[in-house]
Amino acid sequence: MSLKIEDPVERLEGGVITPLRERVNRPDNVAGLLFLLPNLIVFSTFLFGPVLFALWLSFNSWDSLTGEAEWVGLTNYVDVLTPLPWAESWAVLNTPTVNLWWFAVKNTLTYVIGVVPLGILGGLAVALVLDKRIRFRKFYRAAFFMPVMLSGAVSAIIWRWILSVEGVLNTILEPVGLAHNWAGDPGTALFSIMLIAAWGSIGFNMIIFLAGLQNIPRELYEAARIDGTNMWQRFRHVTWPNLQNTYFFVIVLSIIGSFQVFGIAIAFADGGPYYATTVIVVRIYQEAFQNGNMGFASAMAFLLFAVVFVFSFYQYRLRGQGEVTY
Amino acid sequence: MAKSNYEYPGYERSGLAYWSKTIVLYSVVTIAALWTLAPFWWTITTAVSKDPNAGLVLFFPEDATLQQFFRLYERVPIERWFFNSFVFAGTVTLFNLVFDSLAGYAFARLDFLGREKLFLLFIGTMMIPGMVTLIPVFILLSELGWINTYWGLVAPFIANPFGIFLLRQHFLGLPEALGEAGRLDGCNKFQVFYHIYLPLTKPALATLGIFTFMFTWNNFEWPLIIATSEEMFTLPVALFFVRGQFTNNWGLVMAAAVLIVLPPIVAFLSAQKHFIKGMTLSGFKG
Repeated sequence: MSLKIEDPVERLEGGVITPLRERVNRPDNVAGLLFLLPNLIVFSTFLFGPVLFALWLSFNSWDSLTGEAEWVGLTNYVDVLTPLPWAESWAVLNTPTVNLWWFAVKNTLTYVIGVVPLGILGGLAVALVLDKRIRFRKFYRAAFFMPVMLSGAVSAIIWRWILSVEGVLNTILEPVGLAHNWAGDPGTALFSIMLIAAWGSIGFNMIIFLAGLQNIPRELYEAARIDGTNMWQRFRHVTWPNLQNTYFFVIVLSIIGSFQVFGIAIAFADGGPYYATTVIVVRIYQEAFQNGNMGFASAMAFLLFAVVFVFSFYQYRLRGQGEVTY
Repeated sequence: MAKSNYEYPGYERSGLAYWSKTIVLYSVVTIAALWTLAPFWWTITTAVSKDPNAGLVLFFPEDATLQQFFRLYERVPIERWFFNSFVFAGTVTLFNLVFDSLAGYAFARLDFLGREKLFLLFIGTMMIPGMVTLIPVFILLSELGWINTYWGLVAPFIANPFGIFLLRQHFLGLPEALGEAGRLDGCNKFQVFYHIYLPLTKPALATLGIFTFMFTWNNFEWPLIIATSEEMFTLPVALFFVRGQFTNNWGLVMAAAVLIVLPPIVAFLSAQKHFIKGMTLSGFKG
């Protein structure tokens, strides 16, 4: 055990009091303002202002036809959240017609719980293989990354064809007797979009993991080899602990992204069949832009914000501390 | 002299352990490669087959034809959609490069009141889910009459906290002495930025530019909302529209998909380094 004696000067450094005049009159006050002016305008118009406006909207009922607002207080939030999921012995979660918000929350959570591990384990597996000296490494890396280049909506439409009744997958599975209406059955539609999302995210996770793997000093592996360890032991005691920052980063990113899934769900089956792929953002989109209830939709958007904020804040701190640098 | 790798235990290039390891590694990548590449292949085979609903082509199409592409070209304004996507992604990228380098430089190298707080406020907006601001921005733009216009398409993306963050990091990595030398030579603060620091930022600008272009090109939800008529669609929304328009005419839909998938894939294969770097730096994907 060692005792660290803090240097009193070092401790004071952050709190040294400088005269107010020096703090306010900094050398580039005018230049700084001019350099930032374009961004101050667009950030205020398209981010700061709209967030406040959305917050205000969520306490109003807004008719998108007339553009008239009426203050309703917390009514939107109450309407979104009731009946609560445990009312009627959890029946709310299984009947979209009772409360579509909770049904969408259930779909989104199922999606997040499926896609995040699938994408991360898949990405880690291929990254571990490509980190070795294998043939055609560059070819494989490019191949795995290709789906990342597509818009989620575009991949969803391609997969919609593969998974359609007379599509490729059924042609392959028919002889084995496993043909199925993958997109048309509420029981398999959500799993289908999870598969599409994993297809699109494995390459991305792979790239981040490869960067993390390359940062592990080779000497550690050499030392482990001299000690006579096997492949699994080297993974468990060298690779895994040294990748800690990387997988925290990837997990948080995947969670944030998955909570906001939209394009895949809309393009695959338009939120259906029977609301099976109605995830939170699809629900918000439909309420705002198809039903025109902007206030009600804003309340839902803020509830989503609250959930995502927990994870985003964590990521923001990782980023802010510069712990994750690539 | 350093020991050769082959002298360590467990590193021989023969024996059961080596071969089973090799087989496992290659099976993992081969299965993964099939699973990632097969959908691309089936998109192509469906697009070039005469009648995709009559018989499915799993491997090679026997009588390949381009007739689906011609039919598509006759029925929908595909060239207009390409143009829209280029205008959308190109304009956003251009604005971002200018605005983000100005702000990134200010946050890295200028000393002004409120710098730290403002920077946190700017990059803090990365935490806001897109759906929160989408609704109010839509209302604002409809007040301005910008729905279904190029301005409406582009405007919300000019604010790009990620680009500012990235370029600030880059400017912080450049030596401060360069700017001081420039000041002594009589440059004003803007000239120091423009003539000394900006030219040194070209690699970072290239990465940010390519990445922003791709990210905007692939954006789906905003064009879906703001483009209300066919001739204002961008490509991802257009594919969604084609799919709705020609339900179950998968040959036609896949012909459109081939055209839409081709540019990003070709771009990626020719500038892999930039895409991968941009992706790694970004830490997000929509």
